Amino acid sequence: MAYLELGGLAKRYRDAVAVADVTLAVEKGESVALLGPSGCGKTTTLRMLAGLIVPDSGRINVNGADITDVPAHKRNMGYVFQSYALFPHMNVEKNVAFGLEERGVAANERKERVATALDKVRLNELAHRRPRELSGGQQQRVALARALVIRPSVLLLDESLSNLDAKLRQTMRREIRDLQRSLAITTLFVTHDQVEALAMCDRIAVMNRGRIEQVGTPADVYERPATRFVASFVGSVNVLPADRDASGGLIVWGAPIPGAKSFASGDTDVFVRPQRMRLVAPSEPVAPETPHLKGKVEQNIFIGDQVETIVSGPGGQVTVQSLSGGAMPCAGAEVKVVWKPEDTLVFPREAS
Amino acid sequence: MSPSARWSLLAVPAALLLGFIYLWPSLGLFRTAFNETSATGAMIEALSLKVWRELMADSFTYELTLNSLWLSVTATVIALCIAYPISLFLFRTESRFRGLLAVMAIMPMLVSGVVRIFGWLTILGDQGMVNSAARWLGLISTPMHLLFNWTGVTIGLAESILPYMILALLAGFGRLDRALEEASRSLGAPPWRTFLRVTLPLSLPAIVLAAGLGFVLSMSAYITPKLLGGGRVFVLATEIFEHATTNANWPMASAMALYTLALMLGFLALANVLSRRLAQ
Repeated sequence: MAYLELGGLAKRYRDAVAVADVTLAVEKGESVALLGPSGCGKTTTLRMLAGLIVPDSGRINVNGADITDVPAHKRNMGYVFQSYALFPHMNVEKNVAFGLEERGVAANERKERVATALDKVRLNELAHRRPRELSGGQQQRVALARALVIRPSVLLLDESLSNLDAKLRQTMRREIRDLQRSLAITTLFVTHDQVEALAMCDRIAVMNRGRIEQVGTPADVYERPATRFVASFVGSVNVLPADRDASGGLIVWGAPIPGAKSFASGDTDVFVRPQRMRLVAPSEPVAPETPHLKGKVEQNIFIGDQVETIVSGPGGQVTVQSLSGGAMPCAGAEVKVVWKPEDTLVFPREAS
Repeated sequence: MSPSARWSLLAVPAALLLGFIYLWPSLGLFRTAFNETSATGAMIEALSLKVWRELMADSFTYELTLNSLWLSVTATVIALCIAYPISLFLFRTESRFRGLLAVMAIMPMLVSGVVRIFGWLTILGDQGMVNSAARWLGLISTPMHLLFNWTGVTIGLAESILPYMILALLAGFGRLDRALEEASRSLGAPPWRTFLRVTLPLSLPAIVLAAGLGFVLSMSAYITPKLLGGGRVFVLATEIFEHATTNANWPMASAMALYTLALMLGFLALANVLSRRLAQ
């Protein structure tokens, strides 16, 4: 039995289903990201875990105990809010001490634990400041210290980095990850940012429309997406509508895709990540098992260490991403787009 | 002209109107307070402190002051106890009837004060709803006297300032964030502790502001003490009116009005300072 188990959690509001059916098992000390677009039910799931929303059905188990009906204040969950929710009328020290005071921890132990917690997030010097006198990153760290000092059974982070600028977000990502690892604290965090999810967790649960579509390691989810939605939400992808030949093989832009089979019924799309595609000269020989498309370069878009090349062909356009610095074919040049057969992903076309 | 100067032109009509209906008469009041009254009751143009000396020497002035203060404080406290939960509910509810409920809460403001008082007469009278109900329940045998005394005035006043206080509380609840209460609960504070440690401290500035407003409105209320007091409740406002009309002693009425004004401004300033300090 896993340390944290969500079984068939569901929540619906008057006219909308927020969470349809969420089942997830998290091991002790593991960090799991709930990744999904806004409105997919990830925050609702997190809030049900914290006891801030009562689920319509389903169970929540922590360490073998059913806590579904336990009120929020008895759950011992460390919740870090998107807005941090620091108490504006208390200084940093009082904010962090709050949970310990509510637990009746004796004054000297309290003092010690608060100091240790502030030490961990490197904020001892600011202990007597009010939250509004702190920068966004500092506020974030206070919120983290306040949630960790109570030694929660699970740490819950709700889009906790989304209010920080890009640079700070990167620093905090690593800081939280290091803290999470060193304390071996079971963590569940909600994000719509795939980079954040990939960088901060052991496993990702990709959510869509109130359900978990796939749970797996970051590599799993990226390399072997289980559904069309996962493939297009995690990382960027070229979607190529495919035709079917007589033997069930797939044809894109008039060219057969070796090694790919269509589905028994319905239309099929071929998905290939731009980073896995390569541009070669049209004259270059290509092995028969290598998928390749012929097209013309539309334009090169320079994005720092990468260059995106838009190639148009008879069936539309694809984006190819390569490292910048090398020689690039000019706009208008004829090229071949090639990729390895194992990088071909095949999904049934979405009924729209 | 700078943009901000151009925007401030928008305030000109209001400033003119206020100057005309408020500032000008106030200055007149100020001037009149330094006139004298002859033995026959006629007003004599002067620049003396005679009425002021009379006002300050009269122990009745201090009795009136205490009456006014006591009445205002009790009415404000009662109204606050009723207005606070209502405002908190209105502030938080996600009901689609929220707008309607808010309008209902402040509806009494739209009714004339006199009409409301007649309402209270039918409710609080010896044969009124309260006494009939209490008698029917067997709680009392002789009617409680709820009218034409301090009780009646306090009840009526508390009700009349209620909508204003609800509005002031709603406007002052700015820092009250649901996430803060949720944070408190997630940190282990049960609902009542959350209220004491988070909700209440964060709404203190609103409470002080609303109390200040309720207090000033109660101090200046005339109709309610007059009609529900039945001539047995004496406060500064009723006495000012008495001096201005029955006694035709305008200098005294003016001096007493200015005295009341100073008292109210003092309390309002105090509430303001307190509210600002609490908001920090």
